[in-house]
Amino acid sequence: MSASPLRRNALIALLFLGPNLLGFLVFTLGPIVISLIGSFTTWSLRPSVPLKFIGLQNYVDLFQDPNFYFYFYNTLYLLIGMPISIAGSLALAVLLNQKLKLRGPQGTLRLSLVAAALTLCIAGFLFFIGSHSAAFLIFALGLISSTGIYFGSIGYRTFYYLPCFTAGAGTILLWMQLYNPNFGLINQTLVAFGDLFGWQIDPPGWLTSTKSLLGFLPLPEHFNNGGFGLGAREAMIMMGVWAAVGGNNMILYLAGISNISPELYEASDIDGASGWQRFRFITFPQLAPTTFFIVVMGLIGGLQGGFEQARLMTEGGPAGTTTTLSYYIYTQGFERLDLGYGAAVSWVLFIIIMGITLINWRYGNSAEAE
Amino acid sequence: MEIRTLLKHVGLILIAIGMTVPFLWMLGTSIKPHHEVEELSLVPRNPQLENYAIVLRQSPDPYTGKFLDLNFPKWYFNSIFVAAWVTVLQVLTSSMAAYAFARLQWPGRDKVFLLYLGTMMIPGMVTMLPNYQIMVGLDFINTYQGLIIPAAFSAFGTFLLRQFMLGIPRSYDEAADIDGANHLQIFLDVILPMAKPGIIALSIFTFLGNFQSFFWPLVMVKDDAMRTIPIGLLSFQGQYGQQTELIMAATVMNVIPLIILFVVMQKQLISGIQLGGVKG
Repeated sequence: MSASPLRRNALIALLFLGPNLLGFLVFTLGPIVISLIGSFTTWSLRPSVPLKFIGLQNYVDLFQDPNFYFYFYNTLYLLIGMPISIAGSLALAVLLNQKLKLRGPQGTLRLSLVAAALTLCIAGFLFFIGSHSAAFLIFALGLISSTGIYFGSIGYRTFYYLPCFTAGAGTILLWMQLYNPNFGLINQTLVAFGDLFGWQIDPPGWLTSTKSLLGFLPLPEHFNNGGFGLGAREAMIMMGVWAAVGGNNMILYLAGISNISPELYEASDIDGASGWQRFRFITFPQLAPTTFFIVVMGLIGGLQGGFEQARLMTEGGPAGTTTTLSYYIYTQGFERLDLGYGAAVSWVLFIIIMGITLINWRYGNSAEAE
Repeated sequence: MEIRTLLKHVGLILIAIGMTVPFLWMLGTSIKPHHEVEELSLVPRNPQLENYAIVLRQSPDPYTGKFLDLNFPKWYFNSIFVAAWVTVLQVLTSSMAAYAFARLQWPGRDKVFLLYLGTMMIPGMVTMLPNYQIMVGLDFINTYQGLIIPAAFSAFGTFLLRQFMLGIPRSYDEAADIDGANHLQIFLDVILPMAKPGIIALSIFTFLGNFQSFFWPLVMVKDDAMRTIPIGLLSFQGQYGQQTELIMAATVMNVIPLIILFVVMQKQLISGIQLGGVKG
């Protein structure tokens, strides 16, 4: 007696799907349901708090919580980095896709060797006269330029992608030191640069400062606005751009550009289009699906972002200015042990993400249809 | 025209320098003696490896005379052990599930798949809090199981490999089927070898993501001996937070293995990103 082929198939499918489906139910779908239900209760890690159903109370509290609006503002503010890094990724991809080979027999190899030899000589000379730092910098310059010239796009791509690949606790600590107001590389360079021209430069306080570029706005009192300037949020943005600009988005743009039909460019050559016109009327429109994907994914990731930076660099400070919604959820859950309230915040975050993604979808699709 | 090509190289080189300078400063600072840290320089006047010795507990901290409370060998082991297990399990469960979604016909398949996709939209923070509670219930807090098992199942990995398997022509399975192969044989001998590029890409992302993972170990690990490298680096936030040269030595030890991994795996990684439009 054999089972019908459909049932047999379903059984085989279940065997293959089983382990994954089990994990999916226990660690993804189950927690989603628990979280949703939990957000309507007094769910707490404190054993003294009895578990009670309280309806919409967590959500009501949340909308009356001035900090929620403050941290939502911070989350949105940190998204400023996204268009900058996306534009940067696109620019890098376009630049990497240009003709980088030199003419002449082995012109590329020769130039690469010349660059290596020249920088080695200068580095050697600088080392000899005792400027070790300058020698090291020139040596690095030589290494980068000879690799880049010889390998072209692939060579440069390696250097651009490194910050993205190594991103994590290590690079966050690294930037924390770069931003040190007194002896971090950034402020030291700014001051040294000022000295060169005889200017008195008062460098930004970076991670210790509540200033922001929107600090001139009449923001509510509890937003702890430190006035106009560069502060902790700008520091986060700059670090984020550094990590993202040569990362996955650039790789996606490179792949997108290589898929554009060469005939389009040939036709534009016949019409005598300039480089900018080729970008404006061929490259950019042809990359619209890639850009759309990157923006959607970037917004989804960005709205959930800022946790690691806040936890490692600033503990959400100074004065809460680097606390994002994801860090707020963490502190509510694991520091105040109030899981129910944390879950409510996470669901509001989900609704925000969903809403923005849907708007994106509608707007993005209609833009593509044009 | 040759000048224009040269100028492009100059631009690209300058950007590359900008991207690498933080790493150069990190290397330089990690070999600085303490009194040189406040100087603007990439290379110290008196380079020394003492900071690494202090971080690796071969020498005491010169200011307190005590050995630092760090355990890099153990943290390395934990990070690699956890990331390797998660990678193996996730590739296994994801590829099997992907096979079920891409190559088998069964009722409700597309609905289940849509459910998988839908959950990918929900922020990780939503599931974190209940998952923590589940770990408390299973008594997995502060254990390797707790670090590995919740990460071993991935809707994303399933999605990535499903897309990849859909691209493999049907005729391969059919030929194997005519030869009398069963589904396990088709999966192991036909589909898996052909999905290799996708599996390699997923492996790199999973390994890297878990090696660098911060949030989950942060809430799971209670004990120094269970720390992974990112959690270990938290020691520098408080008690050793003032000693830049030590922090940079520790950071180098986090970043250098990654740079090596990247240089070795670069080609597979890049094709993987293009394959799945992955966020790493």
